[in-house]
Amino acid sequence: MTADLSRAALETGEVLVVERLGGGLLELVARLPHLAATAMPGTFVQLRCGERTTPLLRRPFSVAWTQDDTCGFVFEAVGAGTRLLSELQPGDRLDTLGPLGHGFTVVNGGPVVCVSGGLGCAPFPLLINALRRRGVEDILVLNGARTATRLYPAERFARPAVPVVAEATDDGTRGHHGRVTDLLGPALASHPTALYACGPNPMLGAVMRTLLESGADLPPTLEASLEAPMGCGFGTCLGCALPVRAEDGSSAWRLCCTDGPVMPMRDVDWEGLSALPGADVA
Amino acid sequence: MTDDGFTPVDLGRGLTLPNPVGLASGTAGYGFELDQLIDINRLGALYTKGTTVRARDGNPPPRVAETDGGMLNSIGLQNPGVDAVAAGYAPRWRGWAIPIIVNVAGGSIDDYVHCATVLEPVAEVAGIELNISCPNIAEGLDFGRDPLAAGRLVAAVRRVTERCVIVKLSPNVTDIAAVARAVEDAGADAVSAVNTYIGRKIHRASGRSVLPLGTGGLSGPAIQPLALAAVAAVCDAVHIPVIGVGGIVGAASARDFLIVGACAVQVGTATFVNPETALQVLDGLRG
Ligand SMILES: Cc1cc2nc3c(=O)[nH]c(=O)nc-3n(C[C@H](O)[C@H](O)[C@H](O)COP(=O)(O)OP(=O)(O)OC[C@H]3O[C@@H](n4cnc5c(N)ncnc54)[C@H](O)[C@@H]3O)c2cc1C
Ligand SMILES: Cc1cc2nc3c(=O)[nH]c(=O)nc-3n(C[C@H](O)[C@H](O)[C@H](O)COP(=O)(O)O)c2cc1C
Ligand code: FES
Repeated sequence: MTADLSRAALETGEVLVVERLGGGLLELVARLPHLAATAMPGTFVQLRCGERTTPLLRRPFSVAWTQDDTCGFVFEAVGAGTRLLSELQPGDRLDTLGPLGHGFTVVNGGPVVCVSGGLGCAPFPLLINALRRRGVEDILVLNGARTATRLYPAERFARPAVPVVAEATDDGTRGHHGRVTDLLGPALASHPTALYACGPNPMLGAVMRTLLESGADLPPTLEASLEAPMGCGFGTCLGCALPVRAEDGSSAWRLCCTDGPVMPMRDVDWEGLSALPGADVA
Repeated sequence: MTDDGFTPVDLGRGLTLPNPVGLASGTAGYGFELDQLIDINRLGALYTKGTTVRARDGNPPPRVAETDGGMLNSIGLQNPGVDAVAAGYAPRWRGWAIPIIVNVAGGSIDDYVHCATVLEPVAEVAGIELNISCPNIAEGLDFGRDPLAAGRLVAAVRRVTERCVIVKLSPNVTDIAAVARAVEDAGADAVSAVNTYIGRKIHRASGRSVLPLGTGGLSGPAIQPLALAAVAAVCDAVHIPVIGVGGIVGAASARDFLIVGACAVQVGTATFVNPETALQVLDGLRG
């Protein structure tokens, strides 16, 4: 099936600010009227990092939030591309292509659980905003990170009313001392209608494993935003394959950029995915 | 001259491209995505994803990896198979102004002949490009490396099609001119050069190759001078039209290929970076 790219467009925006949130987390805000008007929760944008031929390819980033004609992106400087983005100054140009990809299904009623690992926080402010516009107020965010300074600040998940955020850190510097998946059990007790997850692929696999092992009924809407190294971001290079289970149980590939990045967690071949090298390897 | 101000490019057997700038195989799918992003019908040709007898799932990930000024790919010719292209995709090309050239790949002469036979009655297919040079499946490259085998393949396809046959040459050979001459002698109407260069990237933390098969195909601006040398050698060796491809990022890097004797060009990897690159090349060449 051909992806619907009818909203996607090239747009050169103006950087308003690159804010340092602590712990290496950065929030880039840019004036991008087209993206702000068309981005749906869970969709992403391909950002050009600099104007040279190295780094060559655009980099995918979740649209974290939109407000009027501006968009926010949350990231950290992990390699050449994100380093260049981290150095952007107010007034600089930002070359974008988006919105791209298949986003979250926004349900009409709660309770809803959002599970974030590290930079997996990125798509949730936009999602939570959309849920609230549908009248969903019972939203619980489970937010995990290595250490306290790397936790996306609770008040940024939604404004003005902050949702309930339960935090976990690997080193115990804030919230629960341990993994974000440890918080899933109590969260499932509320029988959520939807559970949305975003984070590194292995963390998503751990979420699915924990859900299955809990024995609780799986939420009817159960979706994760996955990662794969991308060539194009719009379905032509076939570079971003992720393993899913076909209807007959056999393994098949789906494209992260057009079939995803958000996929039903029931469809993903988690075993196949865990056998792959991490997205950072490319 | 066309409305666009270009002299049409005659590739032979009735295939005339409205202008010299095309989208390279494997970087534009079958056109349906880019049709939503750019005015695809202004371009000179669409060379489709490599198409095989049966559908192929493609290689395990990671399938792409960036390098300085380029990228490696190991897609493994994921495609829906020639029957699905002929029956399902071709009707969707009806009415498109851009000539559609179906890139065909295979592991044996029979495979290529079968694909050409299936495509022969399909009105929307303007020509075929024989990919004898894919570095990501073992068999196809052998045709690209051996002038005799390449000649036999082209002769066999020539017998089953009246369509313009373009042969896409591999740069991973010691004498690309010899392969070009062999396919010209066997009845090819045109040649395109080059496909990707075999490359490898090491994940430094683990010391392992990033791509699952070890190597992949290198494309992008890093290969432009290499591709240019190969295309110049091919232009010197044959009399049929030569289409230049490799590392084009704008009109200047495209014009280099025309200067060494190519009559048309294909834009590949640069489309990933900016879907409008081919249109920018077109406008730049005119200006
Ligand atoms: C759909 C999607 C949404 C994303 N959203 C965000 C976000 O909101 N915030 C954020 O910080 N990061 C996000 N990422 C990851 C982000 O794209 C990478 O961190 C970024 O590409 C790294 O680029 P670099 O040049 O700094 O690193 P390098 O290590 O130099 O990157 C080299 C190559 O690896 C790829 N790569 C590296 N890390 C990743 C990764 N984690 N996932 C996929 N490809 C990777 C790059 O695309 C590039 O081709 C997202 C990834 C995807 C697929
Ligand atoms: C992701 C990708 C997939 C490709 N798939 C094919 C293919 O199926 N058949 C083919 O003949 N060439 C294929 N190519 C090669 C390109 O058509 C082109 O020859 C090569 O990339 C060099 O041009 P460029 O540097 O402009 O990309 C592919 C290239 C890339 C990057
Ligand atoms: S990144 Fe090119 S097809 Fe998904």
